[in-house]
Amino acid sequence: MLADSSPVNNEKILQAMLSHSSDFKSSDFTAGDRHYRLYYIDTMIELAVVQDHIIRPLLHHPNIVIREAVSILDYRETELLTDAAQALVEGKSVVQIDGEAKFYLLGSELKKERTVNIPVNERVLRGSNEALIENLQTNLNLLRKLIATPDLAVKYYQLGTRSNTKVAVLYIQSLANDEVLKEFEKRIGSINIDYVEAPGFIQELIQDKKFTIFPRLLVTERPDRVRAYLMDGKIAILTDGSPDCLIVPVSFWAFLQSPDDYQIGWLIGSSFRFLRIACFILAISLPGLYVALVTFDPRILPFEITLTLQSTMQYIAIPPVFEATLMLLTLEILREATIRLASPNSQTIGIVGGIVIGTIVVQANLISTMMVVVVAFTALASYLIPSYEMRSAARLLTFPFILMASVLGMLGLELSFLLVLAHLSRIHTMGIPYFYSGISADTIKDTFFRGPIRSLNRSKESMAQDSSRIRVRRRDNK
Amino acid sequence: MIHLDKISIKQLFCLVILTQVGVHVLTIPYEESKNTGYDAWISVLLCGVIGQAAILLIYLLGKRYADRTLPQYIFSIFGKPIGKILNLLIAAYYAVSSLVVAVSYSDVISRWMLFTTPWYVISGVSIAIAAYIASSSLRSIATITQSIIVMFAICFLIVVISGTGKGDWRHFLPVGTHGIGPILKDTIFAFWAYAGYELLLYVFPFVHCHKKKNILIAMSAANGFTTFFYVLISVIVTYTFSESQLKSIPEPMIFILRQFKWPVVQSLDILFMTIWLGVTTVTVYVYLFLSARYLAFVRSTEIRNHSLLVWGLAIGCFTAGLWLSDRQSILRISDYFNNVSMIVSSIIPAILLLVSLARGKVERV
Repeated sequence: MLADSSPVNNEKILQAMLSHSSDFKSSDFTAGDRHYRLYYIDTMIELAVVQDHIIRPLLHHPNIVIREAVSILDYRETELLTDAAQALVEGKSVVQIDGEAKFYLLGSELKKERTVNIPVNERVLRGSNEALIENLQTNLNLLRKLIATPDLAVKYYQLGTRSNTKVAVLYIQSLANDEVLKEFEKRIGSINIDYVEAPGFIQELIQDKKFTIFPRLLVTERPDRVRAYLMDGKIAILTDGSPDCLIVPVSFWAFLQSPDDYQIGWLIGSSFRFLRIACFILAISLPGLYVALVTFDPRILPFEITLTLQSTMQYIAIPPVFEATLMLLTLEILREATIRLASPNSQTIGIVGGIVIGTIVVQANLISTMMVVVVAFTALASYLIPSYEMRSAARLLTFPFILMASVLGMLGLELSFLLVLAHLSRIHTMGIPYFYSGISADTIKDTFFRGPIRSLNRSKESMAQDSSRIRVRRRDNK
Repeated sequence: MIHLDKISIKQLFCLVILTQVGVHVLTIPYEESKNTGYDAWISVLLCGVIGQAAILLIYLLGKRYADRTLPQYIFSIFGKPIGKILNLLIAAYYAVSSLVVAVSYSDVISRWMLFTTPWYVISGVSIAIAAYIASSSLRSIATITQSIIVMFAICFLIVVISGTGKGDWRHFLPVGTHGIGPILKDTIFAFWAYAGYELLLYVFPFVHCHKKKNILIAMSAANGFTTFFYVLISVIVTYTFSESQLKSIPEPMIFILRQFKWPVVQSLDILFMTIWLGVTTVTVYVYLFLSARYLAFVRSTEIRNHSLLVWGLAIGCFTAGLWLSDRQSILRISDYFNNVSMIVSSIIPAILLLVSLARGKVERV
């Protein structure tokens, strides 16, 4: 809709467009023989900016072109009322000269943001202590500072037909894989939704359709981690209002890596990595293994151990399958309860969970001690997985493993592993296989182990296009 | 979609080894020792050498038609009608092979591990999982197989460690007294155990390599390793059991594993058989995959719905397997399969190569 030359009419229309909101304000002032009208939403503007850089210069320089008067960088002219309304919502001030069917959109946004904090979910012992925050501009600033190259591409997208959420997509032009990029742009371009909840919605909308419980997009709040992935030719997605950065496409192994691995020596880093992978396997299979051993094949264990097991189970009426499921379920309930609870209350949960469930259940002969040990160990093992999404997947997988083990014993366990392997091998992200076996000579360097940095120059995880790129150039000592 | 990407040389290596080894690890050298007794290991070794020759044939054949698979180029060798019939026969061979492997292993499991579980449950579950894997792309199959090699490595370790138990080297002596005739005769029984390398007939164009020669090297290395593994098992078994014992023990490896005790694991045989299920499953799903792919070229146009074919074949296999529940029929079919697999894995490639060479000039134009 085109602007009217009369400010009064414009105000009426703008008011209607902004749903007659009460915080939509306007103000008149005259300088020389010009009448100005300033429209703004008073909850969205920085008052000082408007007063010092818009109103004051206009009053002091009558009869001058607005562009030359105001000292504001974000300046735009428009004749459309819809543009003006959108600008108002974004926190801009809109100036109109009486008798001119034209709006001047001047940036005067009020910025409220928290300071850059230390990461909460991804803590490390060594390395940077900056975390992304909710403000997109600040996040981009953090990343641009880490990657000071003109090669870093930042592309804006507006997602959400109603919320108009700003989404920034980052990649390194010369490293990112063209096909992945094309596929990604196609997918993000085809999103049509009224508002965006990041990272959850974006994650679900751009990933491949195939059903799986394994996370296929890596979520991180650490700028240094984002940089590491960008350098591998991946794409990072930042959303305004969310402190999480999404990385695509990542493989299964990325979820078991931690930034810490690369900060300490490769031998120690490797052993921690290996421990983590072992714990991932334990977290999904230990209760199942216990159920299989106890119900089907106690013969596998030496006689003495079988006796110990039997003595703990002597007075337990519930079959091991239900014992395991019950205890794991209790654990999940406890976990979920503590996350949402106010911190003073969590002590209560600690007592209820630790003492009542841990001890009394055993004393009451409801659950065997061995089962409590197994479940506690499983829970501990699952907490070693660095990614929250992967951790949840592992915990969920435990249940089918128990079920299979209770039906077919050790064989069921083996079959479940095969099934998980097969399932993993069939998943693709952005047209790239999600899983590759980490055991062949060129992949083991950055999967089961964290090889020395010199050997990582061409790791499988990297999908950088420039194949001659070497991370560490060895200097010839001649 | 069926081959999303090419497979690597390493993946080919894993694929061939794991397709070759299967249920037979438990029975070797029981069948092979029917005529040769304690000289069975020579038969096993000889069969590996013959397999190597067949690999050379298949490689030469594949090199001539480097951009196509056997079910595709079979038409340019034999023409449409015979080609279709051959594709159908080979597809049937693979389907029955996968059935026999699945059924034999279910039989082993139901006799040694899960006595009370209904037999068809075991075979049904293993065929279903094999079908699920076989319905994916060749690349996914290769990835899975590469991961299963870890299980194979564990089993290999178990075999090597437990094989060093009590025994007598004099069981081998005097070497070769059974004569060339019986040794050659028993080689035929080992064919079925070595079958698997002929998957190259299908996968040749999908192997990613700088030089075609690398394929031959990988294939030979894989076959060499399998031969080594089989001979190792034969030697371990012959070292442990005398000829008369050998003749009455159908699954000697299980006996050896059972008598070996580790401080943390009492019956290694159960552990071994559990892990070994993964390795046999490879054989089942590779055969199922190949069967579906050959079947896809039976009609004049390629049938594109791969997973439908696989699941159809799997259901067919399972239903057919319901009638195979008694041990005698499995053994009968196994005997019969020694000959069939010899034909498919060695004689057919040889004929194909000969005919193709005869028609060589046509191919060049």
